[in-house]
Formats: sequence, C-alpha cells, structure tokens
Amino acid sequence: MVENRAPATTLGRGFWIATTVIALLALAAIVFWSYTSLRIVMPPVAAQPGGEIDVLFRFMAATASAIMIVVAGYLIYFMIAFRARKTDPPDAIGVQIHDNHKLELWWTIIPTLLVVILSVWSVKVWYAIQIAQPTNGLVVESIGHQWYFTFRYPQIHGEITGEMHLPVNQPVVMNVTSADVIHSFWVPQFRLKADMVPGLINTIRFTPTKVGRYPIVCTEFCGTNHGLMSGNMPTWQGKPNPGAQYLVVDTPADFEKWYHGWQVKNAHASDAIATVSTGTISLAGGDAKAGQALFAQKCSACHAIAPFSQRVVGPGLKGLLDDPQHPNLVDGDKATPANIATILQNGYKGDIGQMPNQAANNLSDKDIANLVAYLSSLK
Amino acid sequence: MSTTAEHAGGIAGHIHPEPQGFIRRYVFSIDHKIIGIQYLITGFVFLVLAGLLAEIIRTQLLHANGGFVSNDVYNEVYSIHGSAMVWLVVIPIVTGAFGNIIMPLQIGARDVAFPWLNMLSFWIFPVAGLMLFSSFLMGAPVAGWTEYPPMSLLGGPGTSMWAAAIFLVGVSSTLTGINFVVTMFQMRAPGMTFTRMPLFCWAQLATAPLLMIATTALAAALAALFMERQFGVPFFDPTKGGSPIMWQHMFWFYSHPAVYIMVLPMFGAISEIIPTFARKPIFGYKMIAFSSMAIALAGFMVWAHHMFTSGLAPYLQLPFMILTFTIAIPTGVKFFSWVATLWGGKIHYTSSMMFALAFVALFTFGGLTGVFLAAVPFDLHVHGTYWIVGHFHYVLVGGSLTGIFASTYFWFPKFAGRMLNETLGKIHFWLFFIGVNMTFLPQHWLGSLGMPRRVPEYDPQFQTWNDVSSIGSYIMTLGILVFFVNVLVSMRNGKKAPPNPWGARTLEWQIPSPPHYYNFKHIPTVFGLPYDFSQPLPYKGLEEELTDSPVHAGAH
Repeated sequence: MVENRAPATTLGRGFWIATTVIALLALAAIVFWSYTSLRIVMPPVAAQPGGEIDVLFRFMAATASAIMIVVAGYLIYFMIAFRARKTDPPDAIGVQIHDNHKLELWWTIIPTLLVVILSVWSVKVWYAIQIAQPTNGLVVESIGHQWYFTFRYPQIHGEITGEMHLPVNQPVVMNVTSADVIHSFWVPQFRLKADMVPGLINTIRFTPTKVGRYPIVCTEFCGTNHGLMSGNMPTWQGKPNPGAQYLVVDTPADFEKWYHGWQVKNAHASDAIATVSTGTISLAGGDAKAGQALFAQKCSACHAIAPFSQRVVGPGLKGLLDDPQHPNLVDGDKATPANIATILQNGYKGDIGQMPNQAANNLSDKDIANLVAYLSSLK
Repeated sequence: MSTTAEHAGGIAGHIHPEPQGFIRRYVFSIDHKIIGIQYLITGFVFLVLAGLLAEIIRTQLLHANGGFVSNDVYNEVYSIHGSAMVWLVVIPIVTGAFGNIIMPLQIGARDVAFPWLNMLSFWIFPVAGLMLFSSFLMGAPVAGWTEYPPMSLLGGPGTSMWAAAIFLVGVSSTLTGINFVVTMFQMRAPGMTFTRMPLFCWAQLATAPLLMIATTALAAALAALFMERQFGVPFFDPTKGGSPIMWQHMFWFYSHPAVYIMVLPMFGAISEIIPTFARKPIFGYKMIAFSSMAIALAGFMVWAHHMFTSGLAPYLQLPFMILTFTIAIPTGVKFFSWVATLWGGKIHYTSSMMFALAFVALFTFGGLTGVFLAAVPFDLHVHGTYWIVGHFHYVLVGGSLTGIFASTYFWFPKFAGRMLNETLGKIHFWLFFIGVNMTFLPQHWLGSLGMPRRVPEYDPQFQTWNDVSSIGSYIMTLGILVFFVNVLVSMRNGKKAPPNPWGARTLEWQIPSPPHYYNFKHIPTVFGLPYDFSQPLPYKGLEEELTDSPVHAGAH
C-alpha cells in the first residue's frame, strides 16, 4: 500500500497564496468592524454604559469574523487543493500525518490568549455596568403586567401608565419587578435589560445621554399578547396598541413639566398597588362613561365589543345580560351585574381561557363598578 | 474453538440463538442494531412532525401582523416544536440511534451490556413522544421549551402532560447513559484500550455521564412542576413562597449540558467521516478525544450564563462568563484538527463528506456567536431576542441535524444493507445548506436590532428579513423532503451495500452489511488505532467474518 501514499506535501506556492488571501480578508473584516456604523446591527446607542457595550461588540465581531474567515478559508482551500482527482488510482491515500505538536500548541495558545483578552475586557465593561454606575441617581420603578408596564416615581402618588419619562444626562437607578408572570424590560437603544420577576426586585443603573423617544420591549414570554408589549408596534391590526409604550428622554425642563403634571394628576391616587378586594363590591353609582374609557385602556386588548363568539383573546362582551345564545356568563353563572363584577374581581380560569384578577388589572372597586355599568349598558 | 479473545468479550462473549418471530425480532427486540434503527425511525417521524410545526411558525412570521394561526395556537406550536426537536429528535437520534447501532460494533462487542434495559429505554421514548404531542388535545404548554414558571403554572392542562412526557424521555436517556458507560468500560474487544478506541466511541463516552447526571436535575424540576400544577405544592409560585428562579437553575443545570449531549456525539461522527473520505489519519487523535471530555466537564459549570438577566448577584455572573469563554478553547482545538485533517488528503465528495464539512463551517459560526452571548455586557442587550434563536439554530440545525444527516449517509449502508442515492443526497445537501443559512443568519441582526423571540407578531420594519428567513426555511424543508424520498426509495431499490463501501477502517466496516445478529463470529483482537491508511488493518481474528463459515449458536 505504501506506493499509493500521496507525495509528501510541502507548503507550496498555492498554500502561501491562499494564506495571503485569507489574511487579507480577515484583516478587511477587522477593519470593517472597527469603523462601520453599528446601525446595520443595532439601533444607535442612547445611554451610558451602552456605548462601552458597543465597543466590546466591535472587538468580538472583529475577532469572530477573523476566526470564521480563517477556518472557512482554509477549509475551502483544502477542499479544492486536496480533492481526489479522476486520474488518481482508486486506492490512493493522503499524506499520513498524525499530528504536529507545534501546530497544536499554537492553536491552543492563540485562542487562550484571545479568551484572556476577551475576559479582561468583558470584566471591565461588566464592572462599568454592574458596579461603577452611580447609586444615588433618580430612583424609578417599573412593574410588568400582562400586557403593559406601569411606573412609579418618588413624590408621585400611585402608578403611571403610558409613557415613562427620564431627564437626559441624569443617572437613574431603575428597579423592576412584576405583578404577575415574568416579563423583561428592554430598551434596545440603551443596550440594557432586566427580567421583571414576581417577588424579586432587579436593578439596572444607567444614564440616558440623548433626548428622544425609545421603545420599551418585553423580551420574556408572558402570555397571549407578549408580542404586543413592544414600543415598536404602536398599532396592531389597525387599532392603537395599549402595549406599545415608550421611554421618553426629556430635557430637564420638559421632564420637570411632565413630572409636575403627574404630581397634580395623581395627587389623590393611592400608593398601594391594587389588591383583590374581600367581600362583594358595591356597584352603586357605577359610571358607564368612565367604564367605557377604562374598557378601552384595560380590556380591549383581549375583548371586543361584539357578540360572544367573536373572540380576540377572550369572548366578545356585547349584550352580556340579554344574549339568548349565552344565557349564562361562564360555568353556569347567571348573567347578572353582580356576577360580572365577581369575574372582574377574582379573574377567571377555566375551559374558555383565563383572565387576570382585579390586582393584576390594577382596578379599584370604583373601576369595577364603572366597568359593570358600562358592560350592562351594552345592548 | 475457545480462545481468550472470545471470552474477553464479557457478557456477550458467547453467541445466543437469534430470536424467531416478527415481534421478538423487530418489535420487542433486544438487538442493539434493531433498537438503534427503531430509535432512528421514531426520531425521524418526530422530525417530520416538529418540522411541520416549524413551518407553521415561519408561515405566521411571513407577515408582521401574523394572522396564520391565533396567538395562543402559535405559542403552543413553538413550545412543542422546541421540546420535540430537543427531546424527541436530536437527543434520541444522536445517542439512542447512532450510539446504539455503531458504538458496540466499533468496540467489537456483540451487544450493549444490558440489552433488556436497552429495549425498555427505547419503548419509553415513543410513548413519551405521543404523550407530548397529545398535549395539543388538552391545551398544550405555551411558555416555550423552557417552560419558566409562573407562566407554566398558568398554562393549559397539557403543561402537566408535557412535564410527565419529558420526565419519561429523561428516564429513557438516563438508562441509555448507564448502558453505554458500562458497555464501553466492560465490553471492549481485547486490545481495544481507551487510547485505541474510535473517536465516535470517545464522544459517546463523554456524553453518557451527561445523560446520567444532568438528566436527574431536570427530572427533579419536572416532578416539582407537576406537583405544583396538580397538587398545589408551592415550589415556584412566588405568591405562595416559591421561587421562579429556582426552576431556571434546575432547568439549565440540565439543559446546558444537554446542549453538549446534542452535539458531542456528532463531533464523534464527524471525526470518523472526515478521515475516511480524506484518506488520512485524523489529526491529533488524543487532543480530539480529551477535548470531548474537557467540554463535557466544563459544560456542567456554565448553566447560569442562560440567566444573566434573571437577577443573579452581579459577582456570580463572572465565573459563569469566564468558564463559558474557556469552552471555546477545547472546541476550537477540535475544529482546527478537522480542518488540518484535510491537508494533504485525497478528498472524496460523497454526500456524507459534504454534510460533515458543512457541519464544520456551520458549527464554527454557531459557536462564535455563542461566545458573544457568554459576555455578560452583550448578553444584556440580546438576551431573549432573535439573536439567541439564530445562534442556537446554527448549533442545533447547522450542527446536530447536519451531523445527523452526515451520519445517516455514512452508516445507512451498514445498518440497512443498501446504498443511499448520491445524486438525491447532493440535491438534499445544497437545498439544506442554502436553506439553513438563509433561515438563521438574518435572525442574528433581527435580534440585535430589536426583535424579541417568541412573538406571533412584530415590528413591520423587520418584515423583509423575516420573509427571507421564512423562504429559507421552506428551501430547507424541501431539502429534508428529498432526504426522506431518498431513504424510502433506497431502502427498497438502493444498490446492495458491500461490507465496506467507503474504505473505512473501524471495526463495523470489516463485517457484512447489515451485520449478523451476533455481529462478530469471533471477537477480534485490536492492535492499534483505526486511522492509519498506509498500514494493514490493526485487527486479528476477522478472517471468517466475510466468509460463509457456519456459526454455532450457543458455541464459544
């Protein structure tokens, strides 16, 4: 068999040409990632320490591209240069090399060095994110709900819905948690993310550096409308999306104005997070008009004002009290205002789906009375 | 005829009479080759089902507003797609199918150490698979293959069925792990020292402890989830004093090693295929063998890199980050060694070799994007986005599934006795290779630009790249369809396979295709590594294997 041995291959001209091409391509990749605008892969950064994450990304992208080009480059070159040819005898074999300790040493040492550099660099950026950020910034709180975010500020009573505002260039200490399942608070332009875990408070610290309006995106699966909890989706199927929320970075003066506005608006709001009331909720004095506004805000993501069978997530709620096809609400409950209130109070879980309770929907007893008045008024 | 060589084969050293009757031979068989083929067929059936689910996902995402299926159905579909691909397709095929068929043949054994246990392992698997898919009938789980509580506590009744089904496949893999470890320790042919063992067996040896140890942590987590859902025992519900984070620790303590369960055996297969078709010894045998062990060991210590945003104490993030980086070193050694194996070779481009080379390129890419994720700062940006989806599909589809195709084209002639059609194989290859890159490459920048994962509708600005991804997935599916046509046609009409169609040198190729029930008439003696193409085969005692000499059942 020895006569079939392929001629000992030395590193000939082809190899050095291929090596030069591969080296040039790898260098081009490194130059590309060093100078390209990162807009092609990430939205422009608008907070510190997000900028440091971008620099680390450039380093990783440059190194990884170079490694990929080296591996794929030699793979392709060897595939072409060492293909079996038609003229070879059928039992021709390759040059019989088992290993090369020098080469193996090098391709262990070089990746190890890269890993050391990457580790040191990552720890440095990690330190900037987790440790070095000021701890005495503006304290803000965000609470994840199915399927929207609420916010709490010092000296504003109650919870704020809709947009969240922050002043530019002022350090922020942001605490996040959840009222129901796990959500995750992500602002892509800030490069920061924290899971909102019920029963746990997670903190991120940062400083917004650019005035603007940035989408808040939920990145942890949180149920049917998880996809709608994104500021990138202001409308969905032609309707405004209540889950599209924004983090607005203001000039200090604008922020002051916004802040003061909420202080006045929420002067009498309760600081307690809504809870499920015990006992029966009084429906006296329910205001159908207020209920209608509340419905648009809290219920319309899942329920349409349409016949029972027209489901969005839950059933349509038009004519609940006198629908001949559905004389009962659910599970044999008679269609009465009191029973509607009970479902709003305790939520529902059963064969047609599930609905969060009063606390999760952040409804006061008065809100429930208003909603029942509105739903009862629909014919 | 009694020689030490035959006795040294251990428990299966002597030949049992072959069982008669269809049921004993092909249904409740204790023959490792039949069990392996059963695993392979069942795994491919589940691949078809899980693949169809994947196409529902990609069809929904053709439009920013979704609308192909409802949000709730979409959530069920991707949850079952992920669970099925991991537990019913990749893990059973890379360990149960190829491990079972090939490993005993490569070490010169007549069966695995515990054939009856092997039969039990297999039969648990289709039952668990049916249970998993039956959860669609009762409200399937919606919270993805990871099923984080509290979401999984709220999911439909099928979520409990999901937990029970995954628990059962876990039992099946644990038993397989035990069986493989004992087989490789006790039943190697005389002279087959660990440093002469083929690299595919080394890879199985690195995987088996992962199956045995890691799976038990998952079983505990699943049992807890089941008890909480069915009997209200508060393990994870924070309103009752449970901890949702505890699930994440237990789940990833299994599921990170599971990543290596899914790919290490395929590293082994690639290490057999590349030298065979390059007509060269594998470059750096020992480094490849030991790097499997190093990866398996380190794989146990990095699980919390899946939880950088969950609220770990900041200092706790550091060891997990740095240990994850270091896994790149032994993995790199393997890839450099495979590329170096090609140098100076005589490369034959069979379908198997093309898939093996594609594996090297695609897994390198998936591995590198994984290093990005290991860095805490960048992970804070892309965690929970499509970047993650792109990354793990490069390692699981570009890695494991590509490896499964390479292995099938390579070993099909051995266990089926027929050759697969090479033309169809190449059509399959190109459709699949183009499809994989089109589907999963754009998902990286979709994620870093702002598209979260597990969404049934998304920002309209991302529609173009999602369409590219969906069209890519159709091309990939078409490729897989060609593969199944190839298998079904070749099974009946393929060219009869000679014992050693590829000129390979490991033991399984020195006996007939398909091998006899007893594998070897005489257990061979091994004198060296199987990869020296310039030397005569390093085996003694194989002279009668390809002859008609009779075998006496029960004889030693």
